[in-house]
Amino acid sequence: MPNVLLTESIAVELGGSDPWPDNVQLFQPFDSEQILLPDVAAVRSVQAFLRMCALPFSVDQRANAEQMSPSGAIPFIKCGAFVIADMDPIVAFVNTKGIHLSHHLDSSQRADMRAYMSLVINVLHSAELYITWTHEYTYNTITYPRYSFATPFPLDRILCWKKRRAVQAAPNPSGIRKLDSISWSDKKLVDVYDEVDSCCQALAERLGTQLYFFGDKKTELDALVYGHVSAILITPLPDTRLKDIINSYPTLIEHFRRIDNDYFKNY
Amino acid sequence: MTGSSLDTTLADSVSSTGSSSAGSPKPSATASSGFPALNLDAFKTRVDVINIDGVGRTRNDILDPLVRPLFEANTFEEVVLRAHTVRRRLEELGAFKAINVFIDTSSGDNATRDGLEVTYSVVETRRVVGGVNTSIGNNNDGSVVLQLKCPNLFGRGELFQTEYEYGTKHTTGFQTSFAKPLVPWLWPQPRLTSTLFQSGFDAPWSGFRETDRGLHVDLSFKSRPSIAHSVRWEAVWRDISALTPSTAFAVREECGHSLKSSLKHILTWDQRDNPIVPSKGTLFRLQQECAGLLAGNVGFHKHELELQLNRPVPLLSDVVIQASLRAGIMKPLQKIDTVTCINDRFFIGGPLTLRGFNLHGVGPHSEGNALGATTYWNAGLHVYTPLPFRPGAGGFGDYFRAHLFANAGNIGDFAYTDDHYKNFNILLNRLRYSVGAGIVLSIGHMARFELNYCLPFGQQSGDQTSPGLQFGLGVSFVYLKMQI
Repeated sequence: MPNVLLTESIAVELGGSDPWPDNVQLFQPFDSEQILLPDVAAVRSVQAFLRMCALPFSVDQRANAEQMSPSGAIPFIKCGAFVIADMDPIVAFVNTKGIHLSHHLDSSQRADMRAYMSLVINVLHSAELYITWTHEYTYNTITYPRYSFATPFPLDRILCWKKRRAVQAAPNPSGIRKLDSISWSDKKLVDVYDEVDSCCQALAERLGTQLYFFGDKKTELDALVYGHVSAILITPLPDTRLKDIINSYPTLIEHFRRIDNDYFKNY
Repeated sequence: MTGSSLDTTLADSVSSTGSSSAGSPKPSATASSGFPALNLDAFKTRVDVINIDGVGRTRNDILDPLVRPLFEANTFEEVVLRAHTVRRRLEELGAFKAINVFIDTSSGDNATRDGLEVTYSVVETRRVVGGVNTSIGNNNDGSVVLQLKCPNLFGRGELFQTEYEYGTKHTTGFQTSFAKPLVPWLWPQPRLTSTLFQSGFDAPWSGFRETDRGLHVDLSFKSRPSIAHSVRWEAVWRDISALTPSTAFAVREECGHSLKSSLKHILTWDQRDNPIVPSKGTLFRLQQECAGLLAGNVGFHKHELELQLNRPVPLLSDVVIQASLRAGIMKPLQKIDTVTCINDRFFIGGPLTLRGFNLHGVGPHSEGNALGATTYWNAGLHVYTPLPFRPGAGGFGDYFRAHLFANAGNIGDFAYTDDHYKNFNILLNRLRYSVGAGIVLSIGHMARFELNYCLPFGQQSGDQTSPGLQFGLGVSFVYLKMQI
C-alpha cells in the first residue's frame, strides 16, 4: 500500500470543497462474530467523533473490511469518491470541510490535547493490541476464532499467524502501532496493566470534575477516550482485570456514560 | 522436438552391412539411381535383438516395455515403422538428448534366417540443466524466466523443475514441479505432475494486484493420438489488494483473501500445422472448472470453449482464411458461504481478442476499472497473406504476415430464460465489433506481435476503445503461458 500519506493529503485537499454527503458509509468487520478489541476502540472513537460533529453516516459490516481499507486500518469511511481510513485522517478530512470540534481551544490547549491523545494511543491502544495478540490465552480462545471468522481452514491459520507477527514486529509505514518499536512485546501482563493504570490516572486527573476534558465542549480527545473506555467495558475478555482498572476511576466511567447517553443510546 | 519425417529416417538411420536379403533399400528409389523400386513389405523378417547403447541411469524396467513392440513386427516395412514409433516414444520420455536408430542383420549363434538387429544409440541428458528464457503472457506482458531442470531424475523419465520469473506489470513468480510419466509404453501416455507455486501480478485494467500461492496436481493423457486431456486439481490462496488509492470501490469491495479448491479438465484437439500463424487445420479446446466442491470459500463452475478453423484459399497461394470463436459461461455454485471473485470472471477486449478496444476494456466497468462478467463470446474472421511485395522472402520475411480482420464479441452478466430464442437474442444484443488490418510477427512459433489499425464499433457505456494503431503481444491460446 504505497504512498498512502501523500495521496490522502491530496484527497483531503480536493474533498474540502464539497459539503458532507448524505450517503457516507463507515465500514467495519462484523460486530458479533469478527471484530477484535483494538478495532472496537477505533470504530467507536470514530463513530463518537462523527456524531459529536452531527455528521450522518451509516455502518456497513463487511468480512473483508481490513483488506478493503486503503491503509489496512479499521474503520474507514467512504465519502463520495473518497475512501479514508483511521481516526487522524478522518479528523483531518472533516476539518477541511470546515467542521471543527476543537476550534474553541487556543494553541497551548490544542498542544495539550494532542499530548493526551498521543498518551492514549501509546498506552491504551498498545495494551489492547498486547492483550489481543500477545497474551497466549486470549489469542487462542478469542482472537483466533474471531479473526478467522470468514476464512476457511487452512488459510485462517496462515492469515492469523501473519497478522500476529505483523502486530508484534518492528514498525512499518502502514501506521499501525507495532509493539516491538515501543518494546512492549517483552512486557509481562502485569506490567501492561500497570501502564494502563497510570494512563487512566493521568486521564482522570486531567478530567477532574469537569464534564469533558477541556471544559464544557467536547473535543477529539473525548471521542478517543470514549472509544477506548467503551471498548474495554463492553468487550468480553477471559481476564477481567482491564475492566476492573477502568471501573476504579469513577470519573472516567461517568464521562463514558455521558457520551454514551447523548450519542449512542438512541442509535 | 517432433519426429522427423519417415523418408529422412529411412535414409539416414537404416544401415546394413553384409550381403543378406535386406540390400540397400530406398522406398522411393528412382530409376536414375540404378536400383529397382522395392516393395518393403514383401520382405519377411523378424527382430532378433534390440540393443540400446549409451544408457546410464535410465532404468531397464521402463525401456523394456517401450521397445517391446518391435518384436511383433513381421515385415521389413513394419520393422522400420515401429522403430520410428519407438524412437518417438523414447524422445517423449525426456531422458535422452539424441537418439539414433541402426537396423542391421543379426549375426551370431542365435541369429535366425532373415533376422534383424536393431540398435538405438542414445545420449542421455545431463543431470542438471539450467537456462534463462523469456516468457510471454496474454496481457501484453513479458518476463524473464530462470529455470533449473533435473531431467530423468531417478531413471524413469521423471522431471524436477524449478523456475523463477520476473517481468513487466510487476510480475513475479516462483514455481517448482515434479513430473512423472506413469506408463509411457501405453498409448494414452499418462503423466502425473505436481507443482507448487507462488506468483504475483498487477491487473491495471481492474486496479488490483493479485498474489497466488498454491499447489496443483495434474494428470495428462491422450484418449486418441490427437486428443490431449488434462485433469487437474488445484488449491490456490489468492490475495487481491487494491493497486492504487483511486481503485474503483466496486473492485475494492472484492479485495481480500480467498481459497479456491477446484477440479479442472482441459481437452485439446489441435490439428493445425502451426500454433501461431497456421495455414491449415482445426483447433478445438474445451476447458471446464468446478471450484468449491471439497474445500475453500470460492464456488463456481465455468465452461469455456475455443474453436479455430484455418483454410488456405483454393486458387491464391499463401492466403489463409481463419475463423475463430471463443465463448465462456460461468455460474456460481449453490452452496452457502461461497463467493465468486473478480479474478475468476471473464474479460474481453484487447489486441488479441477484440481488437480496437483497450486490454480487457469491454464489458461492465466502474470508474474506469473493468469488473468482468459471467458470460462472453468472441468471434473473429481473419485473412492472412504474406507481406506485400514479399520482402525478405525465404528468410526473415517468412515470419511476418499481413492480415485483414473482423472481430466481434459480447460480454455481460446475462440472465438466461428457458427460451433459447430469447437467450440467443440476449447474446447478440449490444454486440461490439471491429474491423481493420495489420501485420503479425510470429516469434519462434510460440507467440505473436501484432501491429494493427483498427476501427471499433458498437461501443457501449463503460467500454474503452483505442481506435487507430494498436500494438499487441501475446499467445494464441488464452490460458497457457508459453515459453520460448
